[in-house]
Amino acid sequence: MPQPGRPGGTDAGPVAIEDAGAQALAEALRSSFNLIKLVMVLLVGAFIASGLFTVKPNQVAVKLRFGRPVGVGREQLLQPGLHWKLPYPIHEVVYIPVGETHTLTSTAGWYAVTPEEEAAGQTPSPLPYLRPGVDGYALAGDGNIIHVRATMSYRINASEPLSYAFNFAQVTNLLQHVLDNALAYASARFNADDALYRDKLAFQELVLSRVNALVEQLKLGITLDVREVRTSPPLGVESAFNEVVKAQQQGDTKIREAESYARGATNNAVGEASTIRQDALTRSNYFVKTVEKEASNFLGFLPSYQRSPDLFTKRLLAETTQRVLTNAQFKTYLPERADGRPRELRLLLNKELEAPKKTETSTAR
Amino acid sequence: MKQRNPITLITGGLLVLIFLFMLFSYQVRLTEVAVVTRFGKYARQSDQPGFKYRFPWPIEKVYEFDKRLQNFESKYDPAITKDQIILQSSVYVGWRIADPKVFLERFNGDLATAERTLEPVVRNAKSEVIGLHPFSDLISTNVAEQKFDLIESNMLKRVQARARADYGVEVELLGIKQLGLPESITSSVFERMRAERQRLVARYLTEGERDAKILRANADGLANEILANARAEAIRISGEAELKAQEAYAVFERSPELAIFLFQLKALEQSLKERTHLVLDQQTPPFNLLSGAAAKAPAANPKQ
Repeated sequence: MPQPGRPGGTDAGPVAIEDAGAQALAEALRSSFNLIKLVMVLLVGAFIASGLFTVKPNQVAVKLRFGRPVGVGREQLLQPGLHWKLPYPIHEVVYIPVGETHTLTSTAGWYAVTPEEEAAGQTPSPLPYLRPGVDGYALAGDGNIIHVRATMSYRINASEPLSYAFNFAQVTNLLQHVLDNALAYASARFNADDALYRDKLAFQELVLSRVNALVEQLKLGITLDVREVRTSPPLGVESAFNEVVKAQQQGDTKIREAESYARGATNNAVGEASTIRQDALTRSNYFVKTVEKEASNFLGFLPSYQRSPDLFTKRLLAETTQRVLTNAQFKTYLPERADGRPRELRLLLNKELEAPKKTETSTAR
Repeated sequence: MKQRNPITLITGGLLVLIFLFMLFSYQVRLTEVAVVTRFGKYARQSDQPGFKYRFPWPIEKVYEFDKRLQNFESKYDPAITKDQIILQSSVYVGWRIADPKVFLERFNGDLATAERTLEPVVRNAKSEVIGLHPFSDLISTNVAEQKFDLIESNMLKRVQARARADYGVEVELLGIKQLGLPESITSSVFERMRAERQRLVARYLTEGERDAKILRANADGLANEILANARAEAIRISGEAELKAQEAYAVFERSPELAIFLFQLKALEQSLKERTHLVLDQQTPPFNLLSGAAAKAPAANPKQ
């Protein structure tokens, strides 16, 4: 193939060599260009992949484009799963841990305790006074000093997490303040005894409702629970408080004993009363029955008696004597003395009448 | 070469464009508010988040402030109530930047400086308001009398008035964090508490004793009453029985002699029923038969 305007077109040798060289070069260039293309594709791929991010199951995320949330209303919230974004200056992703339970404890009203003591469950040795700023405590409504602490837990509402995430700096501190406030507020309304012993539950409820009211007012978008409210008398006067509790228990015990005595006494009385009544009924019935029977006997006897009083009485007397004599355990017959005078009987009576010994002496008078 | 040129151009152009973009724009984050100054003088502010244009640096400068609600607490220090009681207290405050222009001018946009400046303002307001109320307005078991919320809101009002005008700051909330007494007073409170406890000990013990006694006495009274009622009832029952018996007794009037005879007979039989030892002589019928002659009996009779 003759090339127009090409010098030395007839010299095939060098041209062929040049051609071969150019071809090789072109080949090499093409292959390296392909390599570069591949690298570029890979780079583009990597760039796209670098924009991928996952939202974990206990999170929601918000994508900001130039600082403004992408989407409107509920579409702003990216649910758990795989998502894609552009690199930083354009897109920014904020994760909000909605599934997590956060816990915080207010110890502003609690006595100063070192971490070692806390871990061992020990209480520090009591002081005769409390140092402001060091020993925390609260004032009870009756002007007494008590120690209070509370632990609360909260979760961000999954339906409205934006306020929590974007409206407040140092939310934990703020909630800490709120909890402290609730404790101071509740303490200031309760007298020491109620807060410490008698009405702890109401105290806890007041703390909870106060925290809830403040959080509501802030529109924080969290759900919270006050999990534990502990109250304690000042360590220095704790023993005096314990004595009161003991005295209260002793008093209660006395009352309970009296109550059980009272129950016993009334029950006994009721039982006895029913016995008395029953007895009276039985006896009366028996009495009436007897009398009625006697009356009917009497009516039965009356005609016979009227016919012949003497015979009737004698007969009845004899019958009775017979019965009496048959029933009698011992019978002693005293024949008349020869001289017709009555015999003298001497009885030696034992305490026990079981076998009475009888000494019979005949005395002639 | 001819093929590469457009790509290079496009790439270069793009880079220049991005560079210019960065010079001529800024973004306001959702949580921020931005103030733009031109040659050091306030020009405008952006409250809404998003992408904004500006002139590059020597001409315009952008300041971005956190517009979220900030919080801090005041020192725990004493104030004197209206009734001359020293009350230790600290409060917390929630505030946010309301006027970025003033905020920039006053604090150079520094939140920490702002809080340092606000703290004495808060403390003053706190002391002033506490001075207007007696101790019992804060600490009282009488819920109706308590003015905890009112005191908090009065403190807030005082702080708000100054903070807004002077510092470009909106104080949104204020609450009492802690209340206490000076160190020397706490020991006397302890004394009082101890004395109170001792009184309570005595009271609970005597009250327990008293209530127990009352309970016992009441129970005894009740038991006696129950028994008395039962006895009365028993008497009534026997009375009724007696009445009934009376009716039956009327029959006996038809022959008193027979009735008396029968009663005696019965009494005799009843009295000799058990474990009886009878000593009899021959004059007792029917043993008079044993003496042979019934005629003898009349002779012996007078001697009895």
